[in-house]
Amino acid sequence: MGKLFDVKMVFTNIPQILVYLPVTMELAISAMAASLVLGLLLAIIKEKKMPVLTPIVNLFISIIRGTPVLVQLYVTYFGIPMVQKYIAMQNGTTYNASAVPPILYAFVALAVNQSAYNAETFRSALQSVDRGQIEAATSLGMSGWQILTRITLPESFAVALPNLGNAFISLIKGTSLAFVCAVVDMTAAGKIIGGRTYRYFEVYVSLALIYWVITIVVEQAMKLIEKKMAIPDEVPVVQGSENATEVQRAAAV
Amino acid sequence: MSEIEIKNLSKKFKENVVLDGINLSINKGDVIAVIGPSGTGKSTLLRCIDRLETPESGTIDLAGLHVDLSARGNHKAIRELHQRTGMVFQSWNLFQRKTALQNVMEGLITVKKLPKAEAEKIAREQLANVGLADRANHYPKHLSGGQQQRVAIARALAMQPELILFDEPTSALDPELVGEVLDTIRKAAQEGYTMLIVSHEMNFVRNVANRVLFLENGHIVEDGTPAEIFGHPKSPRLREFISKIDRLQAPEYSI
Repeated sequence: MGKLFDVKMVFTNIPQILVYLPVTMELAISAMAASLVLGLLLAIIKEKKMPVLTPIVNLFISIIRGTPVLVQLYVTYFGIPMVQKYIAMQNGTTYNASAVPPILYAFVALAVNQSAYNAETFRSALQSVDRGQIEAATSLGMSGWQILTRITLPESFAVALPNLGNAFISLIKGTSLAFVCAVVDMTAAGKIIGGRTYRYFEVYVSLALIYWVITIVVEQAMKLIEKKMAIPDEVPVVQGSENATEVQRAAAV
Repeated sequence: MSEIEIKNLSKKFKENVVLDGINLSINKGDVIAVIGPSGTGKSTLLRCIDRLETPESGTIDLAGLHVDLSARGNHKAIRELHQRTGMVFQSWNLFQRKTALQNVMEGLITVKKLPKAEAEKIAREQLANVGLADRANHYPKHLSGGQQQRVAIARALAMQPELILFDEPTSALDPELVGEVLDTIRKAAQEGYTMLIVSHEMNFVRNVANRVLFLENGHIVEDGTPAEIFGHPKSPRLREFISKIDRLQAPEYSI
């Protein structure tokens, strides 16, 4: 038996694990993108109180938020092949469950899970938009779609952004459960390394370090985006504008 | 024949009747002030005409356009009504994430479908008209209340509406900013825009309006020129209203 804790190994593991960083990030980014679209749709349905759809959406959100993501991953992993089998039986064809890449199961489960949370984030952001701006746009003669895309969404997206950043961070960490769907992401790679070396503790410390650094990077990126989305504190100076100095002076007052 | 005809406009909130069968003819170039005690439906009248509230009954006729204001689902007619009328709100309601210039351009681009360059040209002219040419790149949060309201007026005027509705345009302003907004409205009135103004600024009403409506309990109680309304009020309620205002404007004490 060697050392109790092999510090060096924590770091030598990292390059081997980082080989699977693209898998983790692909999964996180694609699931986030899909969940943004789906979550926004759900939020608009709830916000507009559409008949028939609203109770369905409410039930969906309740189920998704009321069950662990791990269970949802298993349900997807075993459920999709059953749907395939059913379709095959209906059509009298054969099916091949292993033809579906494992990452697809994880993508579906994580995207659906995240969409329920994003829906609530978007809904509260949509509600935060001041009615007066919507009335002003209405009285100009803008269509419902124009008001949504040009006034309401940009306004509410800025409000939702900090929460969406948090959601993305937790989604990145959520991808570490994808191994239950046979996806080899960073965590799965770590488990494999651990199984080979029997140095599980070291490999999990390596993983912890990697996830932590990713989170810090994402946090900083979100801060940058938030800053870009914010209405500037100073009056923006247009280049070549003759009264630029005057405008700046006015802003300082 | 009048330019704009409003017929049988009624609105109630639950059991509370706010407007009771209002009929109103507006001629082109009219500057009509709506006065009356608070809670008598002055703002509701404007909001129903612009169909931001749905009344129980009422129609409006503009040249070539007849709209049943109480109907639901007639989106096309309502949008045309919105396009042909303008509204200036008590709380300005500028688009917070757009600069002053973009606020004025928005309707020109989305509703009038003008090319960007042309929309910008018109918007800059309108901002210059309200004395804010040098504030084009300011966001609403960089502007004072009076400046924001002037941008809102420029935004409404840029659409060249056949009727502009002013809903207490100076009520939310600090007293020293009221003047600049009233001057802007007066200028627009002199340019020949047809206007319906809810205002508590009686001196302004006296000087700018050519017609004054006294609204009480959902009825137009009196309708006349400022001289008639303020000089020779007929109904006791109007007399009382005007004497109260006069008392407000009188000195605190006299020797």
